[in-house]
Amino acid sequence: MSSRGSSVSNAKNADQFKQSFREEAREILVDLEAALLELNADRSDAELVGRVFRALHTIKGSGSMFGFEALAAFTHNLENAFDEVRNGRLEVSAELIDLTLASLDQIRDLLEEREGGADAAACDQLLRRVRALAGLGPSPQASATPAGSQTSAATLPQPGGERVRSWTIRFAPGAETLATGANPLLLFAELRELGGLAVKASMEMLPPLRELDPERCYVAWEMVLATAQGRDAIRDVFIFVEDSCELAIEPIEETDSLGPSAADATALALKEPRAASGGRRTYDKPDTAASLRVPAAKLDQFVDLVGELVTVQARLAELAARRDDAEVAAVSEEIERLTSSLRENSMNIRMLPIRATFEKFRRLVHDLARDLGKEVELTVDGADTELDKTVIDQLGDPLMHLIRNSMDHGIEPRAQRLACGKRAIAKIHLSARHSGASVLIAVSDDGGGIDAEAVRQRGIEKGLLSPDAQIGEAETFALIFQPGFSTAKQITDVSGRGVGMDVVRQRVESLRGSIEVASKPGAGTSITLRLPLTLAIIDGLLVAVGEACFVLPLATTLECIELSAEDIAQANGKHVAHVRGEIVPYIRLREHFGITGRRPGLEQIMVVETGEGRFGFVVDQVLGDCQTVIKSLGRIYRHVQAVSGATILGDGRVALILDPERLVQDAIKAAGRIPGSGPRGHPAPSAEDLRPRYGVRAKA
Amino acid sequence: MGIAFETREEMTMASLDGLVDISSAAELKGQLLTAVDSGKPLRVSLEAATYLDVTVVQLLWAAEKMARASGVAFGFDGTIPAPLLAQLAEAGFTWVQSSVVAG
Repeated sequence: MSSRGSSVSNAKNADQFKQSFREEAREILVDLEAALLELNADRSDAELVGRVFRALHTIKGSGSMFGFEALAAFTHNLENAFDEVRNGRLEVSAELIDLTLASLDQIRDLLEEREGGADAAACDQLLRRVRALAGLGPSPQASATPAGSQTSAATLPQPGGERVRSWTIRFAPGAETLATGANPLLLFAELRELGGLAVKASMEMLPPLRELDPERCYVAWEMVLATAQGRDAIRDVFIFVEDSCELAIEPIEETDSLGPSAADATALALKEPRAASGGRRTYDKPDTAASLRVPAAKLDQFVDLVGELVTVQARLAELAARRDDAEVAAVSEEIERLTSSLRENSMNIRMLPIRATFEKFRRLVHDLARDLGKEVELTVDGADTELDKTVIDQLGDPLMHLIRNSMDHGIEPRAQRLACGKRAIAKIHLSARHSGASVLIAVSDDGGGIDAEAVRQRGIEKGLLSPDAQIGEAETFALIFQPGFSTAKQITDVSGRGVGMDVVRQRVESLRGSIEVASKPGAGTSITLRLPLTLAIIDGLLVAVGEACFVLPLATTLECIELSAEDIAQANGKHVAHVRGEIVPYIRLREHFGITGRRPGLEQIMVVETGEGRFGFVVDQVLGDCQTVIKSLGRIYRHVQAVSGATILGDGRVALILDPERLVQDAIKAAGRIPGSGPRGHPAPSAEDLRPRYGVRAKA
Repeated sequence: MGIAFETREEMTMASLDGLVDISSAAELKGQLLTAVDSGKPLRVSLEAATYLDVTVVQLLWAAEKMARASGVAFGFDGTIPAPLLAQLAEAGFTWVQSSVVAG
């Protein structure tokens, strides 16, 4: 490799490793923030203190290793402060938590190396306050020592009496480690902060000079560490190189202190031949070996390709059906089976638990509670519920606005709560659960509830309702999501401009979701977002109405029953069917979409489960199941609500993918004369006419 | 700062100065090969060096092995600064000290 080519490659590698560090550090910061907020709730929890300390220590040490010197120096001060806490010389206080949280924001800026960098004055002030609080002396500069510094008295981890154990550590950095600009020697300084360390370099893997690539790392190290810390703390030191190195951490023996026996063990271990695995290094990273970090863009590309494959497979199936050839049919079926498995697997890869999204709101609730002078506890349920990464990425803003709204308008001031006989500490509850092909995400509070009459009056003032409009509570609450709608008497820094809830509505609609509001005066409000599990590929049922084809999501479809002329006559003109004793209202797609042509004598009702209950969609014919790649309809059709996209069929035709939830809501909306219109080509029926037909449910 | 090789009549003298790291590794390898191939004793002076990274230590170790195998004398010349020696010892590179041939 030429020198120039080599340096370009090194720079690229270094950037990749820096990016990798950033990604890991972001996750650690999220965990750190959660630990701090938990610690704020239970300030005597030593385990949480240790968690905070270790996270700071890791960010500092690894930051230095990857060239984030300013970040490392800044974090070093926080680490020292929490070392004081660990050693009982400093108590956890609201001030320490707030200062550390504010410092995390600065660390994030330092991590991203944003234009203009972090606010140096703010960093300096924060450090001064942290150091003053921790009794660490006044000079941030004096303490802003990068991680490579030698062990200081403040960071020695073993207070007297702790059990010390000796560990052998075998560490072989990846071959490219040095070319990325990382310096593995800094890790030894970090290990020394955990306890006594003896190091021996092993040069066994070095090739002869002539064959040696000068930029590769061939050296491995064998170390013995005597420390009171456990395996996890030792592993944390290697967290940012763990994926690219060989690492084995094994205990030797326990001793009472860093005394002679530890030193003996060190000497003994370093004299021992290499592990009993015939000279091959052992691997000790079961956790990381089982997972792989992949850029989201690559994953999206993969899913797109699977989508294309599904479309081609549909063409093959169509072709096989037309040809009377058993061999082609067999191959087609096999391809279909494999494509289906591939699709399911690729979809599963994109599914993420919503935990990280929920957890990040702890900080928001903490900060808002402080700013608003309210005491609020955030509880979370169903954080392991998984949904598509694309959906999760879009959820942050809506949830933030809902929480801000609850905190500002929903939750009453402390005195008012006490006067109502409520707990002084208010509660906001985030929950997630699956419901068919949807996931339900709710933000609930135990505040004062929505004043429906005030909403109605505001709706009239804004011209959204006529003064004599008769609408139910659910429809009234729906008004709060209209642009510029607010009943707040005062605009605050937090909310009141009528923007946030509009953002919620827009974002949820763009995800093909829906919103339900339930509120009880004096008891609180619960806002539920119903969102699709995935936005890419679904299992569908292909149906025909006249010449048109539609796809219904299989996950929401319960069954298919026949609708004869006799059934229609028995219903006395109402759009309802009797399904095993249950009355199921239905929507005839032919009428809904204004499709002309003659109705067949025997129609089919596709019974689906929606948030509004069971509904039927009447179609001419059910063509069968199909894997459906969802293609966007584009900006021109973005306001078409009942259709969630389109798909290309095997014969090249386009089928619209129906959104049963929206279809039903449209019908209900039309029935109730809520702002909106009736089915296309038909005047909107009166609420009285259609309410029994579609079974509108008011939620309260 | 950097590396300098001086070919004398009786030996080759390599001097490493200041912080020497991966950016000089390719050049150092070439110079070490030339020096060993010349068959003259190779002396390396670390007197002015303040920091050697792993790539440099690897090259010096491999050069010593090659020199010995070729019957070429190899050694570190002069006094190695205490901070550098400590740094090398902390990284487990204790062989450097044992290869010092003249104080």
